[in-house]
Amino acid sequence: MLYPLVLIALVAAPVALLARFPGRERIAWGLALIPLSIFGLTLALAGPVWEGGQVSERIAWVSALGLDLSFTLDGLSLLFALIISGIGTLIVGYAGHYLGADSGLGRFLAYLMLFMGAMLGLVLAGNVLTMFVFWELTSVTSYLLIGYKHDYADARRGALHSLLVTGGGGLALLVGLLLLGQAAGSYELSDILAAGDLLRAHALYPAAVILILLGCFTKSAQIPFHFWLPGAMQAPTPASAFLHSATMVKAGVYLMARLSPALGGTALWDVTLAVVGGATMTFAAIVAMRQFDLKAMLAYTTISMLGALTMQIGLGGKYGAEGVATNILAHALYKSALFMLAGVIDHECGTRDLRRLGGLRAYMPQTMVVTALALLSFGGIPVMFGFVAKELMLEAALETELGATMSLLAVAAIAITAVAYLVTGWRLFSSTFLGQRSLAAMQQHVTDPALGMLIGPGVPAVLSLLIPLAFLGPISGLIEPASVAIYGKPIEVKLALWHGVNPALLVSLSAIVIGFGLARFGEHLANLRGWPAWSRGDMIFDRLIERTLAGATALTRAIQEGRLRRYILITAVTMLIFVGVPFLSFGLGSIRLDLDPQLQFYEILAAALIPIGVIATIKARTRLGAIISVGMVGAMVALLFVLFSAPDLALTQLLIEVLSTVFLLLVFSVLPVRFESFSEAWVRRRDAIVATVMGVLMGSLVLATATNDAFAPLAPFFLENSLEQGKGTNVVNVILVDFRGFDTLGEITVLFIALLGIYGLLRLRQGKGDATPERVTATEPAAEPVDTKR
Amino acid sequence: MMPLLMMLSIFMLLRGHNLPGGGFIGGLLAASAIILQIVAFGPKTAQRILPVNYLLLAAFGIFFGAIWGLPALFAGLPYMQAFWLPEPIPGVGKIGTPVLFDVGVYFTVIGVTTKIALLLVEEPTIFPLPTMKSAPVEHEEGA
Repeated sequence: MLYPLVLIALVAAPVALLARFPGRERIAWGLALIPLSIFGLTLALAGPVWEGGQVSERIAWVSALGLDLSFTLDGLSLLFALIISGIGTLIVGYAGHYLGADSGLGRFLAYLMLFMGAMLGLVLAGNVLTMFVFWELTSVTSYLLIGYKHDYADARRGALHSLLVTGGGGLALLVGLLLLGQAAGSYELSDILAAGDLLRAHALYPAAVILILLGCFTKSAQIPFHFWLPGAMQAPTPASAFLHSATMVKAGVYLMARLSPALGGTALWDVTLAVVGGATMTFAAIVAMRQFDLKAMLAYTTISMLGALTMQIGLGGKYGAEGVATNILAHALYKSALFMLAGVIDHECGTRDLRRLGGLRAYMPQTMVVTALALLSFGGIPVMFGFVAKELMLEAALETELGATMSLLAVAAIAITAVAYLVTGWRLFSSTFLGQRSLAAMQQHVTDPALGMLIGPGVPAVLSLLIPLAFLGPISGLIEPASVAIYGKPIEVKLALWHGVNPALLVSLSAIVIGFGLARFGEHLANLRGWPAWSRGDMIFDRLIERTLAGATALTRAIQEGRLRRYILITAVTMLIFVGVPFLSFGLGSIRLDLDPQLQFYEILAAALIPIGVIATIKARTRLGAIISVGMVGAMVALLFVLFSAPDLALTQLLIEVLSTVFLLLVFSVLPVRFESFSEAWVRRRDAIVATVMGVLMGSLVLATATNDAFAPLAPFFLENSLEQGKGTNVVNVILVDFRGFDTLGEITVLFIALLGIYGLLRLRQGKGDATPERVTATEPAAEPVDTKR
Repeated sequence: MMPLLMMLSIFMLLRGHNLPGGGFIGGLLAASAIILQIVAFGPKTAQRILPVNYLLLAAFGIFFGAIWGLPALFAGLPYMQAFWLPEPIPGVGKIGTPVLFDVGVYFTVIGVTTKIALLLVEEPTIFPLPTMKSAPVEHEEGA
C-alpha cells in the first residue's frame, strides 16, 4: 500500500488548479490537506520500520526488462517521506499567501504537487530504474517551477541551467545505474545492497561509481556543478524553500546515502565524497558570507550544507550515518523556515537586498523572533537542533577511518564553515531587523504578515527548538532506522544535547566564539574586493552552451548543405561503412552461387533487360529518355515478379512505376530537355564508384539472405497459418495486415510523415519567398559565375 | 474512366485477403485514377469532381487503421490481435479488424499519393503557365 503515497500527489495535481480562483489563501490551506494526509498515511504505514523492518511491494510493469514498479519503505525513505510531506504541507499553505495576488497560483501548486509525487516516488522506489524515472521527473518539474515567471529572462536562464545540469547528470546516472544493475545481476535495491562485496570487486565498479556520483553531484549542487542552484533562486520562494533546500537537492545525497552500504568502504568512494563534499561545504559557506541577496545567501548556505552531508557519507562510520540522518532533518527544518522568512520579508518590503533592508524589528516583531530561532539552529548554537546535528558531524570527522590527515582536514573545514555560518547568520539578522530603518520599510507600511503566512516558517523554526528540548527520544526513534539504512549494519542511536566535555564540544564552542568575534566585521568581509571569477560558474556554463550550439550549427551546415546529391552521397557512404564493413567481415561466407537448372530463356531475357535499362538511363542525353529507361527497368522487375509468381508485388510494382513516371514528368517538365554536365569529371567518377559499390553491396546482401541456411525460413509458417489464423488465402496480404500489422501501421505513418515533409517543402516556402535560407544557398552558386562573366 | 477505376480499386481492396490485391494496391489504383483526372482536366476540375482534403484523408487513414487494433486491448490481448465477424457479408466477404485496418491503409495511400501529385501540380515555380491558363479556361466553362 505504498504506491498511493505517490499516486495521491500526482493525481491531486490537477485539483490544485482550483487555486486560480479568488480566495486563494483558503483554497491553498485546503489543498495543504493533501500533503498532510500523505504525511499521516506515511506514519500509519511505517509501523514495521520503527522495529527495524521495512515495507515492500511490487507492481508488475515491464517484467521482461526487469522493470517493475517496486516500492520500499525503510528508515531512510521514511525520514525523507516525512520531510517531503510535512514541509510540503506548510509550503502549500504558505504559497497561498505568497502568491495570493497571482492567478497563476493554481498552475504553480499543480507543478508543486507533481514534484511532490515525483520526489516521494524517488525516495520510496525499491528498484533503481523506478527511482531513475522519478529522479528525472523531479528535474522536469523543478524546471517548470524555476521557470514559473517565464516572462523574465533570468527565470528562463535559471530554469534552463538547472535542467541541463541535472538532466546531463541524470544521463550519467542512468548509465551508472545500468552498470550497477549489470554487476549486481538485479535492479532491485535490496539485491544491490546485499551484493556489496561482489560489487566492490567487480570490473565495472569504478565506472559505475564515477557515473553515479556525477548524477548525484549535479543534483546536489556539488563543486563544480554548484552554480545552477543560485540560478534556481529565480523560482518563487515557496518553490525555493521546498525544492532547493529541503527536498530535491537532497535527492543526490539520498542516493549516495542509500548506496553507501553497497558501494562505500573503498578509497574511490569515501575519499571522493569526503574531499568534494568538504570543499563544497567550505567554499560555499565563505561565498554565502559575502552575498547581499537574502535568497542567494541562503542558496549558498544550502550548497554548503549539501557538501557537509556528502562529506559525512564519505567519512563514514557510525557517527557519519547518524550525522547524515540528523543533519538532513535539522537542515530541512531551519532552512525551509529561513527561505519562507526570506519570502515574507520580500513580500512585505518588496526587496530582499540586504543593503536596502534594515530596522524591521519595530515593524515585524513576530517575524524577527521566528527568524532568530531558525538562525540560531542554522548557526549551531547550543540547545538548538542544529547544534545536535553539528556535534554529530564533528564526531564523524573525529572518528573517521580515512586516516588522521583526513580527520584533521575535515575538522578544520567544519570549524571554518561553522564560523562562516555565524557571520552569515549575523549579517542576515542585523542588516534586516537591526540598524537604521530603511527606506523600503518606511514607504511600504511594513507589518507582520497574516498569521497563515507565519505558520509556514513558524512550525519548523519552533520545532528546531522543541525537538532537542522535549522530543529527542521520539526523534531518535526516527533517526535510528535511517542511520541503519545508511550504515548498513544495526546501530543504536540516542541523540543527546550533552555528551560531556569532549573534543567535538570544544571545537564547536571555539568556532562559536570566533564566529561572534568575526561577526562584527561581517560587512567588511562582504565588501572585500578581489574575489576570484571562477566562483561564477554560471558564466562559464553560458559560454559552454553557446559553443555547443555553434558547433551543432556548423555540423548541420556541413552535412545538410541543401543539395540532394550531397545527401545521397552521405547516406550511401554511411551505409557502406556501417553495413558493408560488418558484412564483409561476417556475412560473405553465406553467399552461395548455384544456377537454377530449370532456368527459362525468357527469364534470362527479362533479367538481362534490367542492367541494359540502367545503362540506358545513365547514358540518356535527354530527361525524357532517362524516364523511359527507368520505366523499362521497373517494368522488367514487375515481369520478373510475375514469372516468379508474386502477383501482389508485380501489381504494386507496376502501379508504382506508373505513378513515379507521372511524378517525374511533373517535376522534369520545368527543367531543360537535355542534361548538362556541371560537375567535374572526378566528382562523377567518385559518384560512379560509390554507386557501384552500393549496388554490389545491396545485391550481395539479398543473395546472402536468400541463400543463408543458418535460420529456419519463415515462409512455411506463414503459408500454414495464413488461412487458419489470418482467415485469408492471400498470404502476402495476411502478413501485411495481420501477422505484421504493426509494421504496416508504422509504414503508413512514415508515408504520412513523408507527405508532411513534401508539403512543408513546397507549400510553407511560398509565403516567405526568397528569404528562406535554403533558397539563398541554392541560388548563390548559380549567381556567382554570372558575375565573373561580366 | 474514373468511376470504373474507382470500382476496380475498391474491388482490389476487398478481395485482397484471399486474392492478389489489398490496401496498398487498391490505394495506388485509386490514386492513379485521381491523378489521371488531374493530368487530363487540371487540378481545379479534379478537385471539383472529388472535393476531398487529401491531407486529412491520409491522416484519417492512419487513425482509422490504428483504432482497429484497440478492440484487442480491451479484451486483454496484445494490440492488433485480430477479431472476425463469424459470418461473411454477401458481396463484401469476411469482415474482421485486419480488413478494416487495410481500409485505413487504403485511405492513407490514396491521400499521400494524391496530395503529393496535387502539391507538385499546384507548385507555381513548377507550373507558372498552366495555372495562369487554367483560370480563363474555367471562366469560359462558367460562361
